[in-house]
Amino acid sequence: MEALGVRNIVKQFPNVLANDKVTLSIEKGEIFALVGENGAGKSTLMKIVYGLYTPNSGEIYVFGKKEDIKTPQDSIKLKIGMVHQEFMLIPRFTVTQNIVLGDEPHKGFVFDYLRAISEVREISDKFGLKIDPTEKVENLPVGIQQRVEILKILRRGAEILIFDEPTAVLTPEETSELFKTLNALKQDGKTIIFISHKLNEVMEIADRIGVMRRGELQGIVNKSETNERELARMMVGRDVVLELPKANVKAGDEVFSVSNLNVKNTKGILGLKGVSFSVHAREIVGIAGVEGNGQAELVNAILGFLKPTSGKISINGKEIKLITPYNMRTRGMSYIPEDRKRRGLVLPFRARENIIMGQHTLYPFSNRGILNDKEIDAFATKKLQEFDVRPPDIYSKAESFSGGNQQKIILAKEMSLKHNFLLASQPTRGLDIGATEFVYKMLVEEKKKGIGILLISLELSEIMGLSDRILVLYNGEIVGEVTPEETTEEELGLMMLGLKRKERVQ
Amino acid sequence: MQLLNLAIAMMLDFAAPILLASLGGVISESSGVVNIALEGIMRFSAFFGVWGSAVAKNQWVGLLWGIGIGIVVGAFHAYITVKWAGDQIVSGVAINVVSLGIITYFLELIFKTTGYSPSVPYFGSAANRISLTFLSKIPVLGAFSRLTIFVWLSLLLTGGLHFLLYHTVLGLRIRSVGENPTAAETLGVNVFKIKWFAVIMGSVFAAIGGAALSLGTMASFNNTGVAGGKGFIALAAMIFGKWTPFGAMLAAFLFASAQVLQFILQATARGIASQIPSGFYSALPYFLTIGALVGVVGKAVGPAADGIPYKKES
Ligand SMILES: Nc1ncnc2c1ncn2[C@@H]1O[C@H](COP(=O)(O)OP(=O)(O)O)[C@@H](O)[C@H]1O
Ligand SMILES: [Mg+2]
Repeated sequence: MEALGVRNIVKQFPNVLANDKVTLSIEKGEIFALVGENGAGKSTLMKIVYGLYTPNSGEIYVFGKKEDIKTPQDSIKLKIGMVHQEFMLIPRFTVTQNIVLGDEPHKGFVFDYLRAISEVREISDKFGLKIDPTEKVENLPVGIQQRVEILKILRRGAEILIFDEPTAVLTPEETSELFKTLNALKQDGKTIIFISHKLNEVMEIADRIGVMRRGELQGIVNKSETNERELARMMVGRDVVLELPKANVKAGDEVFSVSNLNVKNTKGILGLKGVSFSVHAREIVGIAGVEGNGQAELVNAILGFLKPTSGKISINGKEIKLITPYNMRTRGMSYIPEDRKRRGLVLPFRARENIIMGQHTLYPFSNRGILNDKEIDAFATKKLQEFDVRPPDIYSKAESFSGGNQQKIILAKEMSLKHNFLLASQPTRGLDIGATEFVYKMLVEEKKKGIGILLISLELSEIMGLSDRILVLYNGEIVGEVTPEETTEEELGLMMLGLKRKERVQ
Repeated sequence: MQLLNLAIAMMLDFAAPILLASLGGVISESSGVVNIALEGIMRFSAFFGVWGSAVAKNQWVGLLWGIGIGIVVGAFHAYITVKWAGDQIVSGVAINVVSLGIITYFLELIFKTTGYSPSVPYFGSAANRISLTFLSKIPVLGAFSRLTIFVWLSLLLTGGLHFLLYHTVLGLRIRSVGENPTAAETLGVNVFKIKWFAVIMGSVFAAIGGAALSLGTMASFNNTGVAGGKGFIALAAMIFGKWTPFGAMLAAFLFASAQVLQFILQATARGIASQIPSGFYSALPYFLTIGALVGVVGKAVGPAADGIPYKKES
């Protein structure tokens, strides 16, 4: 039986065709995965189904009946629920207040909070999703916040549950917890639409998989009859190469080093303990480690956001006495931040402004404090083309680009700054495979050009595939130094958990 | 003892308009719409209140006229900021500026006077005060024996607004819209309706506060003295009170106390102190406002989506 059908959905945004005649049929009781690169139109399609966007044309069928869904109220009535990519929670409200909002238990116009709490308890027990109904949402870890979102839609009686990239913000443990929940919901007869661009997850959880590319549905495949490689090809439209040939070039002079660095984090705890290493020209040094083992302290110390209690940081052999982002950058550092939206871009600014940031005070972009629009536009246009940013509209605000394209804007900006050391902190975080491939290629290009790269990443495959040397960070210390040739992911895993140490290779 | 009661009564009189307007700010900003037009709304309603009272020879009609103009101005603010997602500060400033010019003009047009309106029936006259004679001899409570309706309204509405915001379905929705309108929308809450309601309600509160200025202890409209910055002090009280009704009440009491103190200091000034220009004393409550804000504002956090225009995606 068909739970949800969309027929010939078209959605045109001012500068992109986000859905181009999309037709899908989703069976009751299945887990249907929708995959596609960032910007492929997955969220748009689901927001149309949920009544947040109005399509230009097309029809929606719910349990066999044609429906006109104009607002979320309509879709809630039709038992459609959506867990959004960006959580729709109110941090300052309690779990209960968040769950019942919009359909509150009441006596007259008085909000019956006690009954609300017991209703929330009930529903949480029924589906085995544990939460504390009176806790404020802002105090909860992300995994539990997501649970609140799921309960919210279950309480409204949702039979069709849409999850928009639910795993993007989760730790691996939280992800497997979520998958258990999804399977339990499926057992319960619910229909689940699971959006993702992580192919391994899709292969694990889905029954059928629909692939989207640039607004079009490329095809639907059964999980049992496909593999990651085929899905990747459908998503990107060509073969994707994530295993790049190592550029075996000889490392040059030292471009960056830290010695005996001790850094206290904002909680006053020593987050980095006596760390020393160096990065040479034409070399990628990878820092492996489980998140929270000193990566943030290292990055913040290098940027000057945290003042080391002791130790030295040098660029091109010269110690930087006063560490500020400005001093580091003028001495030759570029930085790909781990958090695009907060550190990488000024979201409400246009692409053209973001791209010259950092050199906006320099000729030819400005002259005696007056910005030169013509030069800026020409430069930005060139860079958007060069980095294949889509849409290539220099007047679009940074916030309107998809994650992968935002990252490309950051790369365009950082690469055009004069540098010979690149601090790449989780440069592929949250990116789809196409954009990830782009970043990998660029890092290798940089290396060939003679730049020394410090690559901090949580993805072991990334570290193994790109690095010339790997340092393992555990509990604020470097517990091992290896090369990818002489180690395995298993061994790195042991070191990352602090179960093994390895002497430095000299 | 009598003096203490008198001082408390005076403090409550001063506090009432500020508190009422401040409550108006609380409800509007709880829904995410900044209303810096409190001052202008108070002015509008103070004038219309006097006008209505003069026309009907009845202060209640005056109050209704004041509330009426409050609804009109509130609807204008909502039209600009909610319907068209316009800039809330710009709309507020516009209302404040217009209130200055238009009322000076009206004053001449209607009452043929400059500066002051003639006296009209008002709530502060001996007969119209709310008389609770049995309280008059008791310390502290005695202050409540002969207050105007505005003081009682300001106190009742503080409790009422607290109940509305924190114990009703509507209140939960108002606050949800001020915190995260998109989330509220996805749950089927009608964000625009809620904002319209809150902005207009807020204006009505401020309008009652405005009427308190011209129909409370005064019986006329004073073009230079009304609202005399009370709308802005009300905004400060709202922030100082962390966007909560009872917080706003405490803040309004604090500022009003400073004003009473100013009177007492000025009246009892002897020797060198009497040489201090009176402007210094009049400025005291305002200095206190600034001081209090500097002391607290860093820690005060308003509704998360306060001041951000909400547009529905299409
Ligand atoms: N509200 C919007 N206004 C304009 N363009 C949008 C809007 N939402 C999405 N887009 C654009 O539509 C395309 C599809 O976006 P989206 O559906 O979010 O992709 P996905 O979820 O597959 O990553 C992108 O190019 C995106 O920039
Ligand atoms: Mg999306």
